[in-house]
Formats: sequence, C-alpha cells, structure tokens
Amino acid sequence: MIPERDHVALRPEQATIPPGHAWNRIPVIAAVFALVGIAASAILGTANPKQFFFSWLVSFLFFLSLALGALFFVLIQYAAQGGWGIVLRRIGETTFAMLPVMAVLFLPLLLGLHDLYEWSHAEAVAEDPLLQWKAPYLNVPFFVIRAALFFTIWSFIAVLYYRGSRGQDATGDPGISARLRRFAGPAIIVLALTQTFASVDWIMSLTPHWYSTMFGVYFFAGSFVGFIALLSVVAAAMRRAGLLDTVISPEHLHDVGKLLFAFTVFWTYIAFSQFFLIWYANLPEETTWYRARMEGSWMTVSLFLMAGHFAAPFFYLMGRTVKRNGATLAVGGAWLLAMHYLDLYWQVMPTLHPEGLRVSVLDVAAFVAVGGCFVAAASWLMRRQALVPLRDPRLAESLAFENA
Amino acid sequence: MALLVPELPKGPHYGILAEFATPADLYHACQRVRDAGFTRWDAHSPFPVHGLETAMGLRRSPLPWIVLGMGLTGAALGFVLQWWVHASAQPLVISGKPYFAWPAMIPVTFELGVLFAALGAVFGMLALNRLPMHNHPLFRSKVFERVTDDAFFISIESWDPRFDPSATGKLLESLGARSVELLESE
Amino acid sequence: MAQTEAELLDNPVAGHPTLILRSPDFHSITEAVAEPVERKTPLGWWLFFIPSVALLGLLGVAVSWLFWEGIGIWGLNVPVGWSWDITNFVFWIGIGHAGTLISAILFLFRQKWRTSINRAAEAMTIFAVMCALLFPGIHVGRVWVAYWMFPIPNQMGMWPNFRSPLLWDVFAVSVYGTVSVLFWYVGLIPDLAMMRDRAKTRVRKFVYGLFALGWRGSVRQWNHYESAYLILAALATPLVLSVHSIVSMDFAVSLLPGWHTTIFPPYFVAGAIFSGFAMVLTLMVICRKAFHLEHIITIRHFDYMAKITLVTGSMVGFAYATEFFTAWYSGNPYEFFTFLNRAGGPYAWAYWIMVSCNVLSPQVFWFKKARTSIPILFVMSIIINIGMWFERFVIITTSLHRDFLPSSWGHFTPTIWDVSTLLGSFGLFFTMFCLFVRFVPMVATSEVKTVLPQADPHGQSRPERERKAHGGEVTGGGELAPEGAS
Repeated sequence: MIPERDHVALRPEQATIPPGHAWNRIPVIAAVFALVGIAASAILGTANPKQFFFSWLVSFLFFLSLALGALFFVLIQYAAQGGWGIVLRRIGETTFAMLPVMAVLFLPLLLGLHDLYEWSHAEAVAEDPLLQWKAPYLNVPFFVIRAALFFTIWSFIAVLYYRGSRGQDATGDPGISARLRRFAGPAIIVLALTQTFASVDWIMSLTPHWYSTMFGVYFFAGSFVGFIALLSVVAAAMRRAGLLDTVISPEHLHDVGKLLFAFTVFWTYIAFSQFFLIWYANLPEETTWYRARMEGSWMTVSLFLMAGHFAAPFFYLMGRTVKRNGATLAVGGAWLLAMHYLDLYWQVMPTLHPEGLRVSVLDVAAFVAVGGCFVAAASWLMRRQALVPLRDPRLAESLAFENA
Repeated sequence: MALLVPELPKGPHYGILAEFATPADLYHACQRVRDAGFTRWDAHSPFPVHGLETAMGLRRSPLPWIVLGMGLTGAALGFVLQWWVHASAQPLVISGKPYFAWPAMIPVTFELGVLFAALGAVFGMLALNRLPMHNHPLFRSKVFERVTDDAFFISIESWDPRFDPSATGKLLESLGARSVELLESE
Repeated sequence: MAQTEAELLDNPVAGHPTLILRSPDFHSITEAVAEPVERKTPLGWWLFFIPSVALLGLLGVAVSWLFWEGIGIWGLNVPVGWSWDITNFVFWIGIGHAGTLISAILFLFRQKWRTSINRAAEAMTIFAVMCALLFPGIHVGRVWVAYWMFPIPNQMGMWPNFRSPLLWDVFAVSVYGTVSVLFWYVGLIPDLAMMRDRAKTRVRKFVYGLFALGWRGSVRQWNHYESAYLILAALATPLVLSVHSIVSMDFAVSLLPGWHTTIFPPYFVAGAIFSGFAMVLTLMVICRKAFHLEHIITIRHFDYMAKITLVTGSMVGFAYATEFFTAWYSGNPYEFFTFLNRAGGPYAWAYWIMVSCNVLSPQVFWFKKARTSIPILFVMSIIINIGMWFERFVIITTSLHRDFLPSSWGHFTPTIWDVSTLLGSFGLFFTMFCLFVRFVPMVATSEVKTVLPQADPHGQSRPERERKAHGGEVTGGGELAPEGAS
C-alpha cells in the first residue's frame, strides 16, 4: 500500500491547487481557445450556416453528455451510499456544475432550428401527414419550452448538489449528506425522464420519421461512458500533476477502470440491441436511419465505431494492470472520449451529409469553442474549491479504500 | 490420477499441523513461516481470509488465462458452426437476409463463449486445486474437523527441506499456535 | 430484537453497517445454519412440502394430459397462438434473474450484505429455470421431436435455424441453467465440507463428503477458488443481461405492434430483476422465521432488497412511459392502437392490474417504514409478482388478439388446463425449494463469516496480545507488521 497515503481526513492544503501550480493557468488558456473557436465558428459559420449548426450541435451534445453523465454518477453514489468514490466526487460535481454553462451554449442552436430540423419547416409539415401527426410535439414553441424546462431542472439539481457538497466543506454537517441522499432517488428519475426527452428532441428528431424506444437509454449509456472516461483522464492527470497523488490511489483508478469496462460493454449491448432489432425486422420505416449510416464512407465509420468503441476497449480494459496504472488507464479513457464524440457525430451528421463522411473545419472550430468554454469554466471552478469533499463524513473510508 | 490421489512424503511423518485461534493469529504466523523459507506448507481456514495469499507469498491464480482461452474457443466454435450451417451446408434464404447474416449469429456465439468460459473456470479451478481429493492425510487429525467451522491451521509437510519434527513444531508454537500435532504417514 | 434493528438502521450516512446481529462468533454461525438441516424434519416443513408435492402432482397430470391430447386442451387459438405458456416461461426465467443478480452483480459491487441471502437466491434461480424450461419443452405440440431444437442435424439431415430467437432461447436458457448450477455448486463446496465435518451418521458423511470433493480449506485452494468465483460472477453478469434480452427478442424481432420495440431487452431485464427480488423477499420472509435466522437475514437486508425492487420497478415504469410516448410519436396507427387497446380494450382489466401492481404499489417503498415492515414486504412481494405475471400476459395476448386485419381478430380464454399447468409449476418450484432447505445449508456460511468483524486479519495477534498483557515485554515473536498494512 502507498505509505504516504493519509488515513485521516485531509488538510485543505493537500486538496487544493497550490498557488503557482501550472494548472492555475488552464482557465486562461482554455478561454483563449474558446475565443479563437467562437471567432472561427462565427466567421466560417456565416459562409456555411447549416454546417455551423450541425457542428455546434455535435460538440454541444458531447460536452452536455459529459455533464449529464457526471450528474448521474454523483446521484447514484449518493443513492447507493457508495463510499469508495468520494475522493472522486468533486470532479463529477465540477463537471455537472457546467450544466448552466451548457444552457448558454445551447442558445446558438435556437437560431439554427430551421437548418437543423426538418419538422420546423411549415411547408414540409404541410405536405407530410406523418409530420402533421407529430406536430403537437414537434413544433418550435413547445421545443423551446421543453429545452428551457430541461435546463431549468438540470441546473436546479446541479446547483443543489454542488452547493450542498461545497457547503459541507465549510460546515462538515452530516445532515447535508443525508438530505442529498434522500433527494437522489427522485432526482435520478427526473433526470432519466428529462434526458430521454432531450435526446428525442435534439437528436432523434433530426430524422423526424424515425423512432426508437431505446434512444433515451442509448444516449444515457454513451453519456455515462463519456463521463467515466473523462473521470479516468482527469484523475490520472491530477495525480501526474502532483495534485491528489496521495489521495487518489491505484485502488480508485482500478474501480474507475472497472466502471469504464463495464459501461463500455453496456453501451455495446444497448447500441447493438437497437441496431439488431431494427435489422432483424427489416421494416423500411425503421431501417432508414441505419441505411443512412451505411451509405458511402459512413459504412467505414460504423465499422470503426464497432471496433473502436467496443472491441478495442473491451480487450484493453480487461486486464488488471492496465486499470491500476494512471497512464494506461488515461489512454483508454482518452480513446473512449474520442469514440464517444465519434458516436455522437455518427448519430447527427448523416442528416447533413447523407452521401458520406465530410469533415469540416467548422467541426473543429465548434469543438474548440464549446470545449474551450467548458474547460475554462470547469477549471476556473476547480481553482476556487477543494478538490475533494473535505468534510464528507465518509471521506476517510474512501481514502483507505482497497480493492480485493 | 494425480488429481485424485495426494502425493505423500516418504518419511515416517506426513507433517505438522498447528491450530490457531483467530484469522489475525494465522495471518501473522503465515508471514513468519513464509519468511522462514518454508515452501511445502499450507494454511487452512473456514473462509477466505483477506490478504492471506500475500502473507503466504502465493502468486496470483492463472485461472483467468484458462478462462479467456476457453471463452474464445467456445465463441469461435459457435460462430463457425453457425457460419457452416447457414452459409455452407444448408444455405437457405431466411427472412430475406443474406446467408452469412452475422448479427443474427451473435446470440449463440456469445452464449457458447460464456458457457465454455464458465466450464473453464469451474473445471480449471478444480484441476488447479487438485480436487476431488477425498483422502488427504490431514483428514486423519481430529482437530482438523473444525477447519470448516471456526479454526485456522498451518500445515507444514515433511517433504520441505527445512522441516524438522521438533524444531518446526516449536516454531509454530512460538507463533501463537493453540495446538501443534505431528501427523504420521500411513 | 426490534430495537437493535432500529438502532442499526439509524445513521444512514455512516460507512460500515453491522450486517449480522447479536455479534456471533464463527461457530454460532455454523450452528445456526447447519442445525436446521441436521435435526429431525420439523412439522412446519411438511406443511409446506405436502401441498407443494400435491401441486407437483397436478403438474404431472396436466402435462401428461397435454402430451396425450395435444395443445388444444389449452385455450390457444388463431390468432392467439401463445398465451399462458409463454407468459409462464418468461415469468419463471425472470424470477431466476434475481438470484444471479444477488450472487454475481452484488458481488462485483462489493455489497457484503448479499452473503446472507445469496445461497437461497441462487437455489431459487436454478428451480425457477427448471420451471421455465418446462414450458418451451411442452408447448411445442410434438414433444417427441423436441430434440430438433438441439444443435444437431435431425433425421432428415436438417440443422435447426440458428437465426431464430426461439433457438437462441434454447442456448441462452440452458447455458444460464448450467452456469447457475455451477456457480451455486462452487459456492456450496465449502459448506458441504462443513456439513461433512459435522455429520453424525455415515450416510450423511458419505454423501456430503462425496459432493464436498475433499475440500479442506487450504489457502492455496482458496486462492484459485476466489479467482473462479470472481470470474463466474463476471461471466454471470453479462449472461443474465443476455438471457433475458434474448427472451425479449422472441417478441422484439417480430413485426407485431407492441412486440417490436427496441427498448425490450433492457426493459425485460429490469422487469426480471424486479419480479425476482419480489420472489426472494417472499421466500426470505418465510425462511428466516422458520429457521430462526433473523439475526443473519436482518431487516437491513430487507431494506436493501426493497430499495433494489424500487429501482428496478422504476425502470419498468420508465419503459412503460417511453413505450407509450413512442407509440404515439411513431405515427404508426397500428402501434398506437395497440397501446390504446391495452388500456381500454377487452383486456384492460389485466392492463390496469399490471400498472397498479408494478408502478403504483411499489412506490410505497420510498418510505423506510414500508421497507422495514415484514407484513408490508411480504404482501408487496406477492403483489409485484402478480403484476409481473400480468405484464407478460398483457404483452403477449393483447398484441396477438388484435391482428392487422380486423377479420383476424380473436380472443383468448384460459382453460382449466392452462390454470393447472401454471399452478403445477409453482408446485415444482416449491417442492424443489423445500428439498433444498431440508438438505442443504441455506445460507452461505463461509461467506457470512467473512463479513463478521472477527474475520479481519488486521486485528491483534496472540503474541501481541500476550505482550500487552505482560506489560510490554517482547516474548520472542519479533517484529510484526504494522497495523493497517498488508
């Protein structure tokens, strides 16, 4: 066992970014990237607005899914009273604290509803009985109201849990943990429902004739994998940077690795089930979505997703040693983050480019813009807080945690 | 046959059996026995004691590799069987799909992979543990009956180069053994 | 007793709850579990066994008559070609899944409280799978050619269709049965050795000894054993997910509205765990009382089980909501009609029983009082299983009885033989379970011992205790490892 690991609660200095540390510069660097990205997106976007909105949508969904995955992770930790992950909880809290930021980053999409969604065109609806049928749900005003509702609910839960946990750093009140634990169950249910409808609205309705009951679960699976991958990268990076290296142990990394492995398999199960049932029944009203993703170079992307989002991580993360080492785990995590982005790209882009994969500079620009804002805000928050919940009643248990 | 019959040392004694009261006693005693350089010895407990493998200096079990091999074999077998039946031996157009409809072959492939892996785990474990072995010399000891109840033991076989009927017994006593017994060979 | 448990349930924030009450030592755990198996058969056991065997006899009669007369003795017709037979199949398989969840998934999540109930839950799985396998076997009509389902060419040189979900079922359920038996047996080996070492009669010593394979608690053996246990748990987890997913694909790969929907696999798995936990609750309420194991299977265990029931019930409710919304959203008139028909058509009574039993009534488990009240747990567990049986009945029968063309519409009414076969399957289940608790230790004794505080080897050792007793004199033991290291 690591001899320098503390078995008592931490002193604040052990769990904050020390002044002068390199990580203090991240917010500024990220903000610069964000500005460059926003400028590039704006300039290039005026020339090609449709591409801009689609690229922005993909990047927005990517970072949103990380924040939602983080919220699920923390809520489940509270509800299940899991002790091992407490040292990692603040990373999750910082990530989901970005949900209000994502609300702001959603706004550009409101300008692009006509470019993104076929059902927002009155002429298209007038000629299409199916779109007329769905019009009570798929109409711009209700869509906007729903989006506002989702972000309000998500931000409310995020702020409640963030403030609760930060507040406990100061007061050490165990009643906070009890209260947050009690709300976690209902919060998870509300999150599940809102996330499902959000994925229906923002992704599934890109192809408004298509539908799948599994879609909400599919989005959840991807977002959870995405967050655990992010967690592995951040935790490993923190240790490498000399932050929390006496707090986060190979035991914690091992558990994160196990979660990453398990949910990669879960994602595969969900993704395959959805594909398989549609493939098997072969009903034209359902197969269109997958046919579009087997067209031209999209076929290559589909095959690559199978190999890269399932097969490679499955064998890579199987072994014990890989999961217990920060560098090897982070490589797996980074790869899965890229795969998660590719998954969302593959879900969204064929609507814009049915003929095949067409990577655009705007994809990069939008990613830098949204990502820059996300990272800037999150790292700025990290500077101003303890990196672990200092006075959580079960922190000591998490510090001493040992895998079998 | 080596699986069912224990290898027995050749001298007049089988070895020494020492009983301990608690898992902690056993744990610390094991560390000392390991450090003293014994190799042909074992500890016994009614349940797996956390960390005892390290205290004894045991390596990790190679079972995962056996299981992986078996699992891949089973999956391959299932896949090849289906490919052969549907794409080679009896090609039939079923629900308009191609002969080699690989998505539809996944369930059986997966199940056979899991089956073979599980068989590998169970029978691999039994083989590595040399079970069944119903007539081990330790069963001759009366106190050993409590090994499945609440007693903990260390047994050192006389095959071990450092074994000495009296000195080894005294060592085990000094490590906190509740009782020490010298077991005869046949 | 109530007070001690209440104290335990306080302080939900703190880390390690006491799982086993009355602070027993290892020997008293052995006694508590082994003694009911060793003593003379109690009267209460006969009170459960005899009716179970009677129902088993009913099953024998129903199945024999079925083989003799044919499937026509059931209420099946065109278009309702499947009803109670497949409902029962899915019902029993679903129940089995909780056992594997408790054994395998809770093991992977390091939930130590599983050790009190996993043995009984795994046994329940095996018996549930037996009951489940019965139905695909007998519903084929020409039972004498049931071997056509095996992966061998039949007498016409024809291989089975591996691309059919009906055949995936054969593989999935038999692999699940096999792995469940293996997992249960592997877990049983140390306890069979315990029974062998305590056996007072030669017959018992021989039988228990034979099946204990000569287990002697060797740590070298525990090393490989624990590896096997972890691997089996890691294999059983995807297996459980795959088996009920494959069962759901019996319906989902079809073209039928109400059947063909992509969420079926995880929805069925959640439903299976939901009904399975309810059955575990039913069985454990009875067994802990009958065998005086209240200090090992405690109120806290029921609290956890009820929470899992609530979680999986919520997932089922979520799936209902998603299906209903998507049925409307799809714009497919047949799909939407199917759901309106479920809620308002000829089988609406079954639909509303399903919704009230599965979605509404489990909400009571949000309240700790309900989760820790034995009467409520018992009644709720039965209500949930009734609801889950009706869920499968609703899914199967309502989608079949209203076909695409109104001229094909029909109705299903169960016959006395449908009812007898279902009741008889309960007879099979409870007979096996009675035999299990009579002859096999129903708690995983060696696993329960590991959760006792005395099992921790990083306590004080005897030389150290003696050193402390003698006031600090070192007695030749030398240095010992410092506390907390390993």
